[in-house]
Amino acid sequence: MSEENWIEVGSTDSIEEEDLIRFDHQDKTFCVYRLTDGFYATDGICTHEAVHLEDGLVMDDEIECPMHQGIFNIKSGEALSPPACEDLKTYPVKVDNDKIFIKID
Amino acid sequence: MKKNIIILGGGQAGIYAAREIRQNDSESNIKILGEENLLPYERPPLSKDFLLDKKNEDDLYFHSIEVIKNENIDFENVLINKVDFEHKKLFSKNEDVYTYDSLLISTGSDNKRLSLDNNLSDDVYYLRNLEEAKIIKEKVSDKNKITIIGGGFIGLEIASSLSQLQKKVTVIEIGNQLMGRIIPKQIADLVQNTHIEQGNEIILNKQIDKIIKKNGIYEILLNDNSIIETDFVIAGIGSTPSVKLFENTNLKLDNGIVTNQFCETSIKDVYAAGDVCNFYHPFYERNMRLESYQHAQNHGICAGKNIAGVKTEYTSIPWMWSDQFNLNLQLTGICDDYDEIIARGNDINNGVIYFFLKNKIIKGACGLGIAGKVGRDIRITSKLTEKNTIVDKQILSDQNQKLNKLIQKQ
Ligand SMILES: Cc1cc2nc3c(=O)[nH]c(=O)nc-3n(C[C@H](O)[C@H](O)[C@H](O)COP(=O)(O)OP(=O)(O)OC[C@H]3O[C@@H](n4cnc5c(N)ncnc54)[C@H](O)[C@@H]3O)c2cc1C
Ligand code: FES
Repeated sequence: MSEENWIEVGSTDSIEEEDLIRFDHQDKTFCVYRLTDGFYATDGICTHEAVHLEDGLVMDDEIECPMHQGIFNIKSGEALSPPACEDLKTYPVKVDNDKIFIKID
Repeated sequence: MKKNIIILGGGQAGIYAAREIRQNDSESNIKILGEENLLPYERPPLSKDFLLDKKNEDDLYFHSIEVIKNENIDFENVLINKVDFEHKKLFSKNEDVYTYDSLLISTGSDNKRLSLDNNLSDDVYYLRNLEEAKIIKEKVSDKNKITIIGGGFIGLEIASSLSQLQKKVTVIEIGNQLMGRIIPKQIADLVQNTHIEQGNEIILNKQIDKIIKKNGIYEILLNDNSIIETDFVIAGIGSTPSVKLFENTNLKLDNGIVTNQFCETSIKDVYAAGDVCNFYHPFYERNMRLESYQHAQNHGICAGKNIAGVKTEYTSIPWMWSDQFNLNLQLTGICDDYDEIIARGNDINNGVIYFFLKNKIIKGACGLGIAGKVGRDIRITSKLTEKNTIVDKQILSDQNQKLNKLIQKQ
């Protein structure tokens, strides 16, 4: 695991519990979530149509797309409810000194 | 007990019911009978991404044939044209007989047709299924001026798609606003502005008197004596539940098949789900008919559970969407019975929402925004509506405050 792939997203208090923030890096968009048991990251765009998931609702371990209510599991990326049927990519997250990092491949 | 379960109508409600039955019952035979020679597919893209060539036929199917076969669900392409509820039999045109122990009717809805007093009924096109979408796509390719009769969701979505294909589009609506049956005027006007900005002509408060064909061009005469010249006519003037088959039976009909909250019809062992139903909603304590993606899915699932013996009430709060140009419109709950309206936002780039309250309790909301800008708040509104919540109006009207707070307080 090379160190340089860990990208700093921001401080842990920038995300409220059961919520998410959008994080743009180079030409890609990610969503970083704070769930009751820690931080998680996925691609920031729905797999159904090109819509930002940042406007979606986080409920338990799920993110619901704001456009057509497709639902994904935040931890596994699995598409749980149509019209979304393609899984969402997930990324490793670590917290170091109250800062959140995600590992982008 | 192993049963013969037949699902009449291979659309969205039908396939979701079939899979739900299988989840709860591994033994029974499940057979879907569908008039269209296609596995169940999504209709929303037909008026949008399919016309725009952003999605093709293969992108529309809910499930592949492998998934359906693996779950041991049979699909047969057949048009049923007679039913005998007393002997639990269905008949096809070729007199094939299908016998059931339990039947689900999920025949969807049919487009209303314009009544034209000349022979032009074949010259007016309608959109309900993939076949019709393909025909429209092919026919408009060499046309320029397109007229759409009816300013409802489907008409406006087609108008948006054809405008994006550089067509000159005119929409004629009989009412004094677009989407008048269910969308509040404030939102309808914002949608109308976008159509106009994008070059579409919107004519309100006008009725068609006549359509005349002259040298391959159509002249549409309106009731104020004005004439619209056009190369192609599409009508989207609403739909009716597909119940023709049952008209001379003892199945109770009233604006669709009347069902209770368990998707049961007036006849024992006969269930119905989706667009075709006028179902009892226990939360609203009245019957309603809905034509939406979310309803077809959830109602199908609920019917599936009840058919498999898992008694389940249907309680989903209504929700639907429409996509036109880069706008996404969403509606939840019931927005026609209120004593107060609260607005959130005034710029569609960040989303504009109107909340409908009665006796201080939130009843529903309608919102419009670029892409999914209103989605989260509309979803939260569904949850608040479900719980009969008295809401903090100041939070509702202040776009700087997240509505998440309101559900976390529950
Ligand atoms: C163009 C279009 C765009 C839409 N866009 C949206 C949208 O953006 N958002 C939204 O929320 N909803 C939208 N909808 C609505 C949504 O697609 C429907 O509410 C949903 O498909 C209803 O599902 P259903 O299973 O009840 O009926 P359907 O999906 O219509 O399926 C019924 C099936 O039964 C078959 N059938 C009927 N009679 C017989 C018979 N006698 N024998 C055999 N088969 C029979 C029909 O051929 C059909 O295949 C749209 C609908 C259309 C047509
Ligand atoms: S864009 Fe996400 S479900 Fe459609």
